[in-house]
Amino acid sequence: MASRFFSKALLVLVLAASGCAGKTHTWLVKPHQRAYLADRIMRLDANPQQKKADQHVLVYREGAMGGDGTAGGGCGCN
Amino acid sequence: MQLSRATLVLLAAAALGGPAHAAVEASSNVTLFREPSAKTPVQVIHPQVDVSADLGKWAGVNAGYEVDMVSGATPRAYGSPTETAAGVDAVSGATSFSDQRQQARGGLSVNTALVGLAAGYSYGWEKDYRSHTLSASARGDFLERNFTLGLAYTRNFDSVCDQNNQNAQGPLDLLALASSENCFKVGVEDVVERKVATHTFEPSLVWTATPRLLLQGGGTLQVIDGFQSSPYRRVFVGSQGRAPQEHVPTLRQRYALFARARLAVPEARGAVSVMARAYRDTWDLRAATAEAELLKYLGPSIIVGAHSRYHLQSGAIFFRTATQYRTLGPVGQYWTGDRELSPLRMLLGGLTLAFLKRPQNKTWYEEFELNVKFDIMKYVTEPDGPSSDRKGAFTSMAGVALRF
Repeated sequence: MASRFFSKALLVLVLAASGCAGKTHTWLVKPHQRAYLADRIMRLDANPQQKKADQHVLVYREGAMGGDGTAGGGCGCN
Repeated sequence: MQLSRATLVLLAAAALGGPAHAAVEASSNVTLFREPSAKTPVQVIHPQVDVSADLGKWAGVNAGYEVDMVSGATPRAYGSPTETAAGVDAVSGATSFSDQRQQARGGLSVNTALVGLAAGYSYGWEKDYRSHTLSASARGDFLERNFTLGLAYTRNFDSVCDQNNQNAQGPLDLLALASSENCFKVGVEDVVERKVATHTFEPSLVWTATPRLLLQGGGTLQVIDGFQSSPYRRVFVGSQGRAPQEHVPTLRQRYALFARARLAVPEARGAVSVMARAYRDTWDLRAATAEAELLKYLGPSIIVGAHSRYHLQSGAIFFRTATQYRTLGPVGQYWTGDRELSPLRMLLGGLTLAFLKRPQNKTWYEEFELNVKFDIMKYVTEPDGPSSDRKGAFTSMAGVALRF
């Protein structure tokens, strides 16, 4: 019973992720709404070299680490 | 609404038609870091250069090189009873030094419309340290590119030069490394090579929440297994004046969770970003970090920014001040003189300036970028903690990037 439920949930998740669920997600941000997000100042990785140098300084001062994450968002058009 | 209609049309066209992808990008950056102190100042000059190129439509290569040129004075014994009693500080035997650390790296990437894969290798070397790093990452967009899931894994294979302490009966007998002269030489008996294995796993998720708001969340899990003490550092422990080599556990598991938000403010032609991070590790070091950043266009080509960062951490469970190590002794069999493992508060403030030039007519380059940055850091540490004579630091950075 439980495995059937998880199989269905996985299928729905995969279909939703691939955009093949046949349903329009009205809450999603559309490409034509991304003008502001496409701007350079909205990029999470606008200057990776500077970010790397910053982390290089901080990692030798702080006992903690992490929190850099992976870039994403923006215009979403590449 | 100060963004002109023409600008909005151009931005929308970029969003629909794809960003201008340069075939080759070359960037260089130099960082000058200074930590002033009357006894143990430190200065680091850190140049780095990176080049990346597209190989056809889907693949890319990148390579980079960087150097740390470090000079100054370092405390090699923590908690000298004579100097602490005289009220100087808790540092003994500050030794002048000059060292270089170099790193070369290269990588490959494959990017399709919705998925990106990357792999890389780097080699870092200095007189007393060798480091091989393998990294792999994957990124995927889904739900009409409103979400980006990223997974990154890094594996370090490091070697540290250490004093040969095979005759030590226990941790209190450990001798510190006196010199790096014989490090990594074949046939020498006074030094040995110790291994450090590091696994780092970093998942993250970016959500395009609204036409103006990006949200990001993620975490870091890191496991370090191997020799993690400073081979040179000695710590005065107990009342008998013994100062063995620093001794910390060989296994450390580190966990971090973070959240970030970036909001476009077109009315001001700018953006606001905030970040919060919580951290804990198996040495019981706990930390909280917060960041804020403001970015704003001045004209079509200049972006100015202001940012701040606040970091608060407890000490590791085996950390004690110099006085406590001498009067109470060590915590179990571990002792450290590392500021990273001590209670610390740090406040950072800084300014950035970026100049972007994208020629209107077709020419030999696609985009030119110039960046400068200046940060001030203020530390608050234990009065007789490690490196308590260093109260703050300055970082200056200048970089240039050219895209063809």
